[in-house]
Amino acid sequence: MIEVEHLNKIYGTTVAISDVHFSVEEGEILGFLGPNGAGKTTTMRILAGYIPATSGTARIAGYDVHQESMQVRRHIGYLPENPPLYVNMTVEAYLHFVANIKGVAAGERKVAVGNALKRCQLLDKGQVIIRKLSKGYRQRVGLAQAIVHSPPVIILDEPTVGLDPKQIIEVRHLIKSLAGEHTIILSSHILPEVSMTCDRVTIINQGSVVTTDKPENLMSQLTPTTIYKLEVEGEIFSVRSVLQGLDGVAKVEITPRESSNSRFIVHVTASDNRHNLAKDLARIVVTSGLDLYEMIQTTPTLEEVFLKLTTQEFIREE
Amino acid sequence: MIFLNNLFAIFRKEFDSYLFSPFFYIIASFFWLVSGFFFWFILSDNIQKVAQLEQQGISVSLDLASEFLNDYFEVIISLLLVLLPALSMGLYTEERKRGTLELLATSPITNWLVALGKLLGVVAVFLVLWSPIIFYQIIAFSASQPPLQPSVVLLANGGLILLSTAILSLGMFISSLTEHSLLAYVLTFILVVFFWSLDLVSNNVGGVFSEILSYLSLFKSYSPFLRGVLQTETICLFLSYIILGIFLTTQSIEAFKK
Repeated sequence: MIEVEHLNKIYGTTVAISDVHFSVEEGEILGFLGPNGAGKTTTMRILAGYIPATSGTARIAGYDVHQESMQVRRHIGYLPENPPLYVNMTVEAYLHFVANIKGVAAGERKVAVGNALKRCQLLDKGQVIIRKLSKGYRQRVGLAQAIVHSPPVIILDEPTVGLDPKQIIEVRHLIKSLAGEHTIILSSHILPEVSMTCDRVTIINQGSVVTTDKPENLMSQLTPTTIYKLEVEGEIFSVRSVLQGLDGVAKVEITPRESSNSRFIVHVTASDNRHNLAKDLARIVVTSGLDLYEMIQTTPTLEEVFLKLTTQEFIREE
Repeated sequence: MIFLNNLFAIFRKEFDSYLFSPFFYIIASFFWLVSGFFFWFILSDNIQKVAQLEQQGISVSLDLASEFLNDYFEVIISLLLVLLPALSMGLYTEERKRGTLELLATSPITNWLVALGKLLGVVAVFLVLWSPIIFYQIIAFSASQPPLQPSVVLLANGGLILLSTAILSLGMFISSLTEHSLLAYVLTFILVVFFWSLDLVSNNVGGVFSEILSYLSLFKSYSPFLRGVLQTETICLFLSYIILGIFLTTQSIEAFKK
């Protein structure tokens, strides 16, 4: 339903996105995950036909977003990062207006608006001027305008940003209920959010796609492993290979401690969480004649792993 | 059909957005007050002058009605210099500021349709502002002896509406360049004053250049309308300015999106 290939967008000398590629099947929800400034909004805007790509192709429902923009626009509903609301209109008048310019026939508009109000739980707010609505309600009106013409493809840019936890859950349910009959692509910088809502997740960082996978695979790929931090004194480099050879050790990093010539900080990353390496590590260090000053065992959170994944330190191990 | 439908939707949204804003009522009350005052003032002033001359036994071969029409419309035009930029300044600045341009630009409607709908909307608002003045004229001119030819009144009003549409169209283009309404107002005002002063400039330079300038001048081109002369080339000029404004607007929006 959505095919994106080798998409590039360059503003002057700044590369906003480079070689972005992914595809979304009909009825699927794809999460677009990345830190702020990763190129999510740029990609979404290109898909919605708001800005042209510098190079590459994007097709929605078989139509090229640039060449056949009008056809594409008929097939999409789009919620930009800031809901595009005419704040002096009532909710209902606004949705009528959107339905009209999206091409809903005059006779069907009333039903379409009614459905959108119902789906977004706005039935009691129909006659309220948008200016008087809270942020949560405005976001719902934004969602309602994206679905009022029941487009086959819905593009949502950060649909839950700025909402309170209760509203986030409601919006999540709403998005899930739209899947199946609609193909949805939504962006977010919150990992648990996309993993809860989406069938598949594309992680984007600094304008490039890092990986695309199902959330459960991504989770196991990202399952945090324990890191042991040791502070030792002595000839640590001779022990390195012994530590490295230990069953369950993935990586050993040694850095000299600041303001000391003979002390070192050793980071040992476990390959999985089956073994507790603490006692083995301690034994090796001490029996090698080194002095052990400190040992700390840490387990990074999912968020930290995601952060690591989207910063350059991370090297993917295939 | 769908085209007209969408056009009407944009038109209606624009028109309503003025009528629901307190800003419009401030402008309207200012305009109605000043234009009403001058209507009364110029009319009674002209009548007094003629009455004085007649008292002194001087026979007046003056067409009072058309004389008044000329004087009054001149005042009104200088009032419009201040008023029209205020009407056009918000046309696109608000859309840009609120991000609603993103909605319009990703809907299956063209930039042309949006610009045309917006222009029609703001022209309709102008007509609302103008309507009391039409009403005054009907009352005043129907009482005049000898009666003023309806075609003169019609041309004066029709021409003024076309002239205003041209200014609003150019103002719309300027509003599409920025998201600050005040800046759009100032720039449009400067542009309108520039067009207004083209007459003066053209009088001071000679030759072909002067002719070109005076041809381009919106206000000088308008003056034959007040004398009841219909000039096709003037109508073409006004229409060209209107189309130019719409065209530049679509181009500026297209460029803004990149």
